[in-house]
Amino acid sequence: MSSTAIMKNRVPSLDEIIEARKGKAGALLGILEDAQGLEEHRYLSEDTLRRIALGTGTPLSTVYSVATFYSFFNLAPQGKHSIVVCRGTACHTRGSLELLETALARLGIDGFREDECNSITSLDAFASVRTVACFGQCALAPVVEVDGTLHSRVTVGKLASLISKLGKGGDK
Amino acid sequence: MSDKMVILTIDGKEVSVPEGSGLLDAAKGAGADIPTLCYLEGLVPSASCGLCVVEIEGGKSLSRACVTKAIPGMKVRTTSPRVMAARRTALELLLANHPSDCLSCTRNGSCELQTMAERMGIRERRFPRTKKPMGMDVSTEGIVRDNDKCILCGRCVSVCAEVQGVSAIQFAGRGIRTRVAAFMDRGLASSSCVQCGQCSVVCPTGAITEKDETRAVWRALQSPAKTVLVQTAPAIRASLGEALGMAPGSLVTGKMVAALRKLGFNRVFDTQFTADLTIMEEGSELISRLTKGGTLPMITSCSPGWVNFIEGFYPTLLPHLSSCKSPQQMFGALAKSFYAERATIDPGSLSVVSIMPCTAKKRETQRPEMRSAWEWWKGKGHQGSSYYDVDFALTTRELARMIREAGIDLASLPEEEFDDPLGRSTGAATIFGATGGVMEAALRTVYEIVEGKTLAELEFKPLRGLHGIKEATVVLGGKEIRVAAAHSLSNARVLLDEIAAGSSPYTFIEIMSCPGGCVGGGGQPYLPTDAKRKLRTGAIYTEDRRIPIRKSHENPAITAIYKEFLGEPLGHLSHELLHTEYKERTF
Repeated sequence: MSSTAIMKNRVPSLDEIIEARKGKAGALLGILEDAQGLEEHRYLSEDTLRRIALGTGTPLSTVYSVATFYSFFNLAPQGKHSIVVCRGTACHTRGSLELLETALARLGIDGFREDECNSITSLDAFASVRTVACFGQCALAPVVEVDGTLHSRVTVGKLASLISKLGKGGDK
Repeated sequence: MSDKMVILTIDGKEVSVPEGSGLLDAAKGAGADIPTLCYLEGLVPSASCGLCVVEIEGGKSLSRACVTKAIPGMKVRTTSPRVMAARRTALELLLANHPSDCLSCTRNGSCELQTMAERMGIRERRFPRTKKPMGMDVSTEGIVRDNDKCILCGRCVSVCAEVQGVSAIQFAGRGIRTRVAAFMDRGLASSSCVQCGQCSVVCPTGAITEKDETRAVWRALQSPAKTVLVQTAPAIRASLGEALGMAPGSLVTGKMVAALRKLGFNRVFDTQFTADLTIMEEGSELISRLTKGGTLPMITSCSPGWVNFIEGFYPTLLPHLSSCKSPQQMFGALAKSFYAERATIDPGSLSVVSIMPCTAKKRETQRPEMRSAWEWWKGKGHQGSSYYDVDFALTTRELARMIREAGIDLASLPEEEFDDPLGRSTGAATIFGATGGVMEAALRTVYEIVEGKTLAELEFKPLRGLHGIKEATVVLGGKEIRVAAAHSLSNARVLLDEIAAGSSPYTFIEIMSCPGGCVGGGGQPYLPTDAKRKLRTGAIYTEDRRIPIRKSHENPAITAIYKEFLGEPLGHLSHELLHTEYKERTF
């Protein structure tokens, strides 16, 4: 982040983010992270990826490679709420597939295939459901993150109640 | 690599290798051929396929030979039970997601994965497929990508980035979703891809191939309504034999002509004729730019991958590019105008097929502006639907497949001569096939035209060889000019950046897209090494010395076509048929 932006106490623009970081080791990752943070729907649009490629002198394919490697980055607009279901081995053996199915059903999301992508957003953009390989909280399996808060030893009932508290799905 | 030697033991045999050697090379000294599907000479090893595992005494886990350097006293086992089991499993896992359509695959018989499965004695598919089908990318004119056949070895990604500096493709996604992709998973046509085809030359499987047009060419050959002309690029005579199992560097000019006649081509002509013509036009353009003032340095425009590159990456430098079409396109334009008229053949019934060492040539034939002969006939009042100057550009590999399909034994064919008049050429035209050759051919002519005297030494040795950027100095019109030749596009970038910065010391630059020039082109036999490129280049220079005339301006057929048809270099007809324009390409 550039010092002028900090001094003015405002959110820096994408150009400022690129300018401040470019040329430094690992710059691309940080720029992508900040750029996603700038976007209301927490995602990296094609235009954003192109501006980052141009601004840092990185080939488009490389920017796309990094953006698709890390599950943290979204290439499609995300819902207002975020539900992340851990699909690591420990969580899987303790029923995380059922949790994933519960979340999708409660939010009325169809057609999610785990082997094709790792996140999907409800058509009304109310919430996005995502899978991750591991949260590193295996002792507390299964874990689900709802709007940034990690919940442990989650059951189907507990997850349903968490989702209904978001203001939707409770009546289903 | 240093002169210091390292002594180690491989499979119980003591071997001595230069310090810094990798175990893959070191093992060869012990008679061990360690298998690999991803390692490629000259590139940073990606260690992705897992086949080259070896056991090193004292090591906890197996090591990959491609990324392990020989160390004094090292004891390596390349065939221990542990190694053999791990190697086999690695291959079986690669095969799990590979389709079983070998019988109908372009690479049937030339596939490294297939060969490896045979070598390892794979008799069953132990693991089920886990990936879902991804579909094919047929968006470009030259290259077809089939990600389902991809084993993620990374050779294409490395070549595209390290050798060509294009980076049209990269790995995308992770885990089971990992794939090689262009930006946004779109087709190559909307990417920075220049269609040079270097990826297709190194792909171990059928995941990246040229767009196969052999069926369409067979149809043209078998159609009684068509007169089919063929033109052969200089580099084909130095590689077609190799593509058909002869030794690399076999020079097969006369046999190639005979084989093309046997395939049914009605006239067998030579792109070298228009290579000589290119020298006349491009040489005159250089002299004009030098004397009348024009954008310098002037850069050659024969290599379509290179033209795609500058149009995409350095559009502001396009005025530096010679306006000459490539020899392939000059040939097509003349074949369907000059030749069709002389031979009284309806140009619409002519089919022009070119044999090229190149995949980008396929796209070049279909540039919308490449219909000069049709425009020319239109200007003479002819009507009819439009046609391209060149109908099909086949790679060396495609021609080799056609020859094999027809059951022609190239090696045993008696040599035959090209047809007149578009088959007459000089040694200067032959050397177009190697890096530095276009520059050398141009200098042989430009020097004699400007200086009005015979060149004492025809061979410009500093411009020859596989060094990335070569340069020479020539005195022209009492003034010393500097020239340079670069091959592979990452080297081109160096020269272009100099021009962009205003610090280029050169007057004339030759650029060829591929390593070694056309002899190492993207349509050439698979898996070229520098050793093979040198052998093919050697064949090119042998041919140069074999042809009695070695300067383009002394080609009698060239003199005749100017006298009878074109008028003079850079004249009105030349501009209509032999020159072109370029435009920025966005991606």
